[in-house]
Amino acid sequence: MKRIAFWIVTLVILFVFVFPIFWVYLTSIKGKADIYSLEFSKQFIYSPTLDNFVHLFYKTPFFQEITSTFIVAVASTILVMLVALPAAYSFARYNTGYGHLLFITISTRMFPAAVAAIPFFFAFKALGLLDTHFGLTMLYLYFNVSFAVFLLFGFFREIPVELEQAAMVDGYGRLAILRRIIFPLIKPGAAITAVFCLVFAWNEFLFAFLFTRLHAKPLSVGLSNFWATIEIQWGPMSAGAALAILPTLTAAWLMQRYIIRGLTFGAVKG
Amino acid sequence: MLGQGNEVGAETLPTELLGGKTFWETLTSERYFKWLLITPLLLVLAIFMFYPFFYCLYYSAHQYAMPRPPKFIGLDNFRAVLQDVNFWQALGRSFYLLVISVAVELIVAMGIALLFNREFKGQNVIRGLCLLPLLISPLAMSMIWNYVLHYDLGLVNHVLAKIGFSKVNWWTPKMALYTIAAISIWQWTPFSIFVLLAGLRSLPRDAFEAARVDGATRWYTFRRLTLPMLMPMIMIIILLRTMWLIRLFDPLYGTTHGGVGTETFDWMVYRVAFVFFDVGTGSTLAIISLFLTLIICALLFRVLMKSLGAAE
Repeated sequence: MKRIAFWIVTLVILFVFVFPIFWVYLTSIKGKADIYSLEFSKQFIYSPTLDNFVHLFYKTPFFQEITSTFIVAVASTILVMLVALPAAYSFARYNTGYGHLLFITISTRMFPAAVAAIPFFFAFKALGLLDTHFGLTMLYLYFNVSFAVFLLFGFFREIPVELEQAAMVDGYGRLAILRRIIFPLIKPGAAITAVFCLVFAWNEFLFAFLFTRLHAKPLSVGLSNFWATIEIQWGPMSAGAALAILPTLTAAWLMQRYIIRGLTFGAVKG
Repeated sequence: MLGQGNEVGAETLPTELLGGKTFWETLTSERYFKWLLITPLLLVLAIFMFYPFFYCLYYSAHQYAMPRPPKFIGLDNFRAVLQDVNFWQALGRSFYLLVISVAVELIVAMGIALLFNREFKGQNVIRGLCLLPLLISPLAMSMIWNYVLHYDLGLVNHVLAKIGFSKVNWWTPKMALYTIAAISIWQWTPFSIFVLLAGLRSLPRDAFEAARVDGATRWYTFRRLTLPMLMPMIMIIILLRTMWLIRLFDPLYGTTHGGVGTETFDWMVYRVAFVFFDVGTGSTLAIISLFLTLIICALLFRVLMKSLGAAE
């Protein structure tokens, strides 16, 4: 009896979380007439069509957009990791800035986006960085770096200091310690942090929307363009969203094992 | 930090010339090494925090609507904003949205995490599927919700009509804010579930064994053992979600465009600065929101650090 109740509740939970995403895929193979049909049966029963994907591929710069998204997401993630890894190590091991600096770092993510958006818009305009991959990459560096430091700080705290002290006694230099001891231990944490940065950068909309027009326009902005003058073109939009989620899905699937550990800020040992 | 650096630099220079410590050794001594590691971050922070801050501070004291040149007006912008009904409404909505979203997410996620905190068939797949909403673009998803919740075309109203209820207009001024909250709750509850689940799985078993032996009720065990031990996890969720909810934008863009009584604070800044190009007022709003969020998050951060310390 108890088991049955458990499974019923579990199925309801799964339904709530998964069904809307399933619906994206259903809508992506639905014709325009069926989407705008007022009949109930058309919600589920219709002849599937690839029209939306054809529209997406031939009528919109989908491939250019997904390339932009890819370039910016990957480049910004690499930059974020390069900045955040040493900084988080410094915070965790030497308590640099006695917590104040860590708070300042984390607080960058608290600024409502518009605080940064207004000044950067005019600065980028003056520097000719509007609508460039480089400009957007720099914005995502700002956007993700505090979260990355926050997560990595937790991972570095999990590494016992004694390991390093022992290595130092054995005559390792600081760089050797970093390379031979810290780096292998931080790899899982770094991987999950990178996945989060990738997913956030991949899906980010506001900065992309404000700072790009044509050349560097990423997928999220492309999807928003399906909001036509009167109605949303749900079909092609769903097709785009259905494809856009695949890379993030793959990345998350590969990192599944680390995700739970990664979210707990090092408060969980073992 | 700077003063200290100069002082020590002056000391080490001669020994370096004498062939004692090399430049590299000085650099990797503990005193410098920790700052060396943090330099890139400090550079990023300097560019991306201080520049916008001072820019906004400067123009918040100016009347500056885009085509015309800026004119110094002192604190008039602040006066105008603080007397603006729209400002207080938007602020109230943001805060309201924040409170209900975080509260609902925490309660629902706690229930689900407790439910999933056991061994069952296909546990990894099921937990993995629950993570899906986190991965999809919030903007795309809000546009899909716009379809699913459409008055005439949407699945939800179709089903409601089929089982004998009347259709609901999800986008009236009364409902829309709750609809937005629901969309955001749907997307982010998985995050809370996973943080709490990770916390639950790491709790020490023996304390719970002891409680059971002593005959404590489940509710008592939850309140007195589980909840206090999960406090760091709960604080992490509240802190991160507060930070993210303050800058809630995508679900609004995908649905109401800030209309029908859903204009939150962030949307207002966007509208003033990027639709009206009123940089002066926009900067003023930005500065106000900066201070509000800093205060809220400083408090939360403090509690988090305390509970982290207590957990160790």
